[in-house]
Amino acid sequence: MKQALWISSAALLAAAFMIHQPALAQQPAAGKAKSAQSPASRPLPPTLTPQTYPAAQVKTGEQKFAGQCGFCHGRDAAGGETGPDLTRSELVASDTRGDKLIPLIKAGRPEEGMPGFKSLSPADLNAMVAFIHAQKTKFEGVAGDRRSVDPSDLATGNAEAGQRYFNGAGKCSTCHSPTGDLAGVGTRFKGLALLQRLLYPSGRPAPARPKATVTLANGQIVTGPVSSQDEFIIVIGETPETRQTFQKSAVKFVVDDPITAHFDQLAKYTDADMHNIFAYLDTLK
Amino acid sequence: MSRKYFLSLGLAATLSAQSIEPSELVNPGKDSWLTYHGDYSGRRSTSLSAITPDNVGNLKQAWRFQTGQTQSIKATPIVVDGVIFLTTPDNIWAIDARTAKELWHYTYKKNNAFHIGHRGAAFYKDTVYLTTPDCHLIAFNAKDGKVKWDVVIADSAKGYWSTNAPLIVGNHVMVGVSGDFDNVAGQLKSVDADTGKTQWIFYSTPPPGATEPKSGGATGGQMWTTGTYDPALNLVFVGTGNPTPVLNGAARPGNNPWTCSIVAINPDTGKLAWGFQASPHDTHDWDANEVPVLVDANFNGQPRKMLMQASRNGYFFVLDRTNGKNLLTTPFAAVNWAKGIDSEGRPIPNPAKEPAKDGVLVAPNESGATNFRPPSFDPTTGLFIVSAQDGYGTYFFKPEHGAYGWAGADYGVAGKSSIRAIDYKTGKIVWDHPIGEGGGTAGVMTTTSGITFSGDNATNVIAFRTSDGATLWHDSIGRVNNGPISYELDGKQYIVVGGGSSLYAYTLP
Repeated sequence: MKQALWISSAALLAAAFMIHQPALAQQPAAGKAKSAQSPASRPLPPTLTPQTYPAAQVKTGEQKFAGQCGFCHGRDAAGGETGPDLTRSELVASDTRGDKLIPLIKAGRPEEGMPGFKSLSPADLNAMVAFIHAQKTKFEGVAGDRRSVDPSDLATGNAEAGQRYFNGAGKCSTCHSPTGDLAGVGTRFKGLALLQRLLYPSGRPAPARPKATVTLANGQIVTGPVSSQDEFIIVIGETPETRQTFQKSAVKFVVDDPITAHFDQLAKYTDADMHNIFAYLDTLK
Repeated sequence: MSRKYFLSLGLAATLSAQSIEPSELVNPGKDSWLTYHGDYSGRRSTSLSAITPDNVGNLKQAWRFQTGQTQSIKATPIVVDGVIFLTTPDNIWAIDARTAKELWHYTYKKNNAFHIGHRGAAFYKDTVYLTTPDCHLIAFNAKDGKVKWDVVIADSAKGYWSTNAPLIVGNHVMVGVSGDFDNVAGQLKSVDADTGKTQWIFYSTPPPGATEPKSGGATGGQMWTTGTYDPALNLVFVGTGNPTPVLNGAARPGNNPWTCSIVAINPDTGKLAWGFQASPHDTHDWDANEVPVLVDANFNGQPRKMLMQASRNGYFFVLDRTNGKNLLTTPFAAVNWAKGIDSEGRPIPNPAKEPAKDGVLVAPNESGATNFRPPSFDPTTGLFIVSAQDGYGTYFFKPEHGAYGWAGADYGVAGKSSIRAIDYKTGKIVWDHPIGEGGGTAGVMTTTSGITFSGDNATNVIAFRTSDGATLWHDSIGRVNNGPISYELDGKQYIVVGGGSSLYAYTLP
């Protein structure tokens, strides 16, 4: 039963795929993707500076990479439990012999959950870089990557139904306008990046931060974007120079975070709603 | 015997210097935290009561131990006769529990298996045990850290790795492994505590060449979290992980036993007594590895030997642990993947929420409604307290993704976390204390004096009032990645918890 259901839905999906073939032809050509587009939904960016490495160094790098990076990025660097596919990374594509990769590996991306690897030796770092580039070269010749989501895969929704949802049940039009903030959104974001972004704005470019109004004990009022907060403190200000930290117990504060509406909506979407709204936003070129 | 075990945790055992007999694990003393969960029950409830809701606000840092590692502490330390044993991948330290003075430190050889975290050590007689990322089990002389023996638990070249804190019952050291990226059999191996010789292997899915158990073609079902043990029933309870291939369900039709299950195993033979599937035919990476917590109490007016699990798939289960029969199944976090509950108490997966080419929006997300972070059961209030997440993710599968390893793609969308208190009799949420966005990482410990210790998604260790979840105390120490523990030495109650890459101890002044 289970298997029969699966096969029939797979057949439907295959049919949908064929229907949308013409749309596929309108997708941007390889290499022209905007940087906001998800790495998983576009062809591999070409390596800026072709580079080769000794096989022994690649082999060492494979082992080092597996132990330190493999759980998140996959042992083959093509994506793991939480980390992105590095063979589709623009940073890797633009790296020359570790000039961009090594500083990133050392520093990490703490805000995105990647720790810094400060204690790796230069030889290990160089070997990892060699392996990542070798994998990228290898995957450039492979079609239909195992973790890819192509923009055409997502083209199963109905744009008109999506527009109705936008103005009706979804209440999107309460905050958004297709001719205002969302003008051209279908050009700025493609495929998986557009889908993820419409569900919950995050990633790059960073969405607007929540706004806080803090009233100090002396009556002074401070307003500004929330840089970070937990149960006990709230940090306001865009840059390190302007940031101010307040103990929540010592002040009165109000935070206006319009993105909470996106979180609340996650419990309400049907998958059809999601695909329809995607189809609609995709038309806003 | 079992009644005594469950009711007399507070009776101090007399320990000789750094040596414990297997029988003492059944009834740990106040000065110790002898196993990953403190005792065999998995309740992480301490009867130490010097620290109360009224005075917890006065807690002061007694010491701080810095591991000097890049990686955070993701272990629960164990405490034996005034010595703490703390682990990170490839590392184990023996530390004075009064002063944090390092007594010895062992670093394993460089190896290339996954270094994603380590959950802790185990103890038997005068020996302490460490699993390594490349699936070795090493036995050390607890006094000086000298290696007694080193055995291979599984072949890391095939895709196995280990983060596991072993469970020891009698002379059985039971070691679990991980392995989501390859289609490999789920295995729990028991070795002789004195010699390291293999005693038995329990397979949750068939090894190559075997036909039993019938898994429908699934591999996986790894047992990477430390289980619990009931001495009266002589059964070990352990959760099993997701099937592989992970997101491609079509490649492995049927329920795929015993993946995403709770299994009861005889520790002397490795034979299965019963199994209960938390997620039949999982296609979302929702391991049922969360701690099977053992509680003896009334259910529907009858005294019951129960097993409770808040599972990664978003459902809270209460089972009769004598036979695995279901007593209660209720969601404790956002869920949208089940059509209902079947006659055996299992959620019925909705095929429409299996990963699809154009994507489906699923709650929970891959990191789950909860995960490795251990919960606690407070016998005073009857509350099961767990770090929960309401999370959403998108799941994709198309035939090009294949049938090996992950075989699909999924992406987290958003999540919000809480420390959540569940009434075990009804599954109702009694209180909910938000701890931030994303999935939590801090485990939970309760005290019978009425405090719940855990952490938030920022950098705080927090003490909550167990009755209503109100914050009583906090300290900013870095992200808490496992459960706090407590022990009493020289008449002082200590609370010890890892924050970032340091271990912190607190006492009353």
